[in-house]
Amino acid sequence: MCGIAGFTVPFGLPAEERRVRFGSRLRRMAASLRHRGPDAQRGLLLDGVALGHARLAIVDLVGGAQPMRDPDTGVTIVFNGEIFNYLELRERLGSHRVFRTKSDTEVILACYLDRGIDCVLDFIGQFAFAIHDPRSGVLWLARDRVGILPLHYTRTAEGLAFASEAKALFAGGWRTPALDSRGVKQTLQLWSPVVPRTVFEGVSQLAPGSVARWSDGRLETWRYWDPDFGVEPRAEVDAARAEEELGALLVDAVRLRLRADVPVAAYLSGGLDSSLLCSIAQSQLGGTLNTFSVGFADPGFDERAFQDEVARRLATRHRSILVSSRDIGELLPAVVRQAEQVLLRSAPAPLLRLSHLVRACDTKVVLTGEGSDEIFLGYDLYRETRIRQFWARQPGSRFRPALLRRLYPYLPMSQQGHELLEQFFGIGLDDPKNPGFSHLPRWAASGRIVRFFSRGFAETAAEEDPVASVLASLPARVRGWKPLARAQYLEMQTLLAGYLLGSQGDRMLMGNSVEGRFPFLDHRLIEFAAALPERFKLRGLSEKWILKRLARRSVPTTVLQRQKYPYRAPAAGFLTGVDAPGWVRELLSREATRKVGVFDEEKVARLVAKLSARAAAPTEADSQALMAIATTQLLADQLLPPAPVPQRDVDAVELEAA
Amino acid sequence: MNPRARIRQFIVETFFVDDFADDQSFLRSSIIDSLGMVELVAYLEKEFGIKIADAELIPDNLDSLARASAFVERKRRLGTSAA
Repeated sequence: MCGIAGFTVPFGLPAEERRVRFGSRLRRMAASLRHRGPDAQRGLLLDGVALGHARLAIVDLVGGAQPMRDPDTGVTIVFNGEIFNYLELRERLGSHRVFRTKSDTEVILACYLDRGIDCVLDFIGQFAFAIHDPRSGVLWLARDRVGILPLHYTRTAEGLAFASEAKALFAGGWRTPALDSRGVKQTLQLWSPVVPRTVFEGVSQLAPGSVARWSDGRLETWRYWDPDFGVEPRAEVDAARAEEELGALLVDAVRLRLRADVPVAAYLSGGLDSSLLCSIAQSQLGGTLNTFSVGFADPGFDERAFQDEVARRLATRHRSILVSSRDIGELLPAVVRQAEQVLLRSAPAPLLRLSHLVRACDTKVVLTGEGSDEIFLGYDLYRETRIRQFWARQPGSRFRPALLRRLYPYLPMSQQGHELLEQFFGIGLDDPKNPGFSHLPRWAASGRIVRFFSRGFAETAAEEDPVASVLASLPARVRGWKPLARAQYLEMQTLLAGYLLGSQGDRMLMGNSVEGRFPFLDHRLIEFAAALPERFKLRGLSEKWILKRLARRSVPTTVLQRQKYPYRAPAAGFLTGVDAPGWVRELLSREATRKVGVFDEEKVARLVAKLSARAAAPTEADSQALMAIATTQLLADQLLPPAPVPQRDVDAVELEAA
Repeated sequence: MNPRARIRQFIVETFFVDDFADDQSFLRSSIIDSLGMVELVAYLEKEFGIKIADAELIPDNLDSLARASAFVERKRRLGTSAA
């Protein structure tokens, strides 16, 4: 994977003037993305556009240099990601095209020249790219279907600037970084801002599955793909056939993702999804698979017993790291710098440490299991939605809401009576057709953070209602879908694209120059799963039914029979106890809180005092609030104002003009 | 201070809310989450010297300031008369 950056420049400037006016901006932008692409950083100044690239060489190590320009048309691309089916596409185009390299980058160029920007529909991959077409003067931006790779942009006096990460837009001097109050408020309640918004003022992100066309000072964007969970389920398919088709698709999704000119390893969490992927990969690699895991010093979070069992059973070469609460506190500043996001959980931190281990083992690429829970209805959220819908049909029932107690055995709720739990999960029960029905209890909980806002910030953000914003962003057709389908769509737009693939995914991987690959997010698999009858995914309250059936043959029974266990990391208690890292005292001080201005200094001081004084673990609400506050303070500290890009990195960017 | 005022102060200090009505549902209006209820129960037991049985953990007894303070007063009256 790589980093991309660029911007429009006025047409018709002499080459020398372009270089003087824009050369150093371009170099700073490319240099600021060096962590995404340590192997080479290059910039290219063209008439009308400047394109920069930081390269992590994975396919065609010699020939794949970027920016890449088609000599006949002058069409030029900068590309971050992988087109996994590039060999098949290349073969298809081969008869009327001579390829100069073995790279997938050149295949994108060829596909674009063949059928225009609709070429994105042919790609099985994860990508963010920009194509400059001098024939029409159009600058195209495109992002993969589910948002595995990031792409940000901002309007400039000269037109448009774009980059993989916001920090490159700041490094280029296109924006003075400032928090966007609406974006911050949305993130705190929904776990991610509502696209195209980000937490930075004036910085937008291209929505997953979208292309943007910049021409004559106008930006148009549209979705070329959007998950369709409202599709009519296939009536003819029985379980045996579904299992067989799923197995074949998954094997193919893994096969395509093992394509690389460097070794591909895998993350192993000890759960069903990664165990299944590792088993498929191990058999395709003939027994040479390397696996990597996170272990926790706190036994309440640790999954090493399962990881070790799977690794032993599959005979992978297995390595793991052990992460303590203290480590998480110390990692958090780097986590926030990479994520460019406010966070409600600490779970990204161990993954930044893990990618460091991967890189230290000379590995650049890992398979990882994200996406399975979204497409096969694995999360508790879906079971909760099913129970709440069942309950909403007979709101007076005593029996129906009692099912909720079966859902969250790992939370200390057993101390309470049914009735109180019902009161909480009963939010929105009177309106089961509300498109946000599934998420209302979660959003009600996370929405409590607003009570910590400073008066000034609360006023600035008063107009913003995050729940209304995200629901308004839903396409009309989604409203007509069944409750679980609506829940899936919301989950993919908010938690998956905005948090799991971003803050906890790409950013934590690329922070140490490692590329993640996500077989479950192969769009053929998403479309296949969407068209299966619901009972093949969530059977009663048993989640991922068809996937578990498939996994019987290859995954240890102990893993299959485990209670569903979400990946979690120790809560924010580590920010207040004896293990609290040094930055906490400074950044959570009254003075620092007042200076950033998002949170009320008095309440922050009281929260810290409350959590410091108690011996017991903090509640989820307090823990989430403290994480939100700490990461907002870190975001302000790390990215406003931006750190200058080291001069030696800027000097390392090769600049070329054509 | 009467129980109602004391409980209100506890809620404000513990859950960081500024203002809420006496009869507003803690859970439905997200003043307290379900784990926060554990904190509230522990506080009531300690502060007012009462014991709350599992069967008493119901919204009618706890899910608003008015209900919680009425519940506490009821418990205390019962406690005194029993003693």
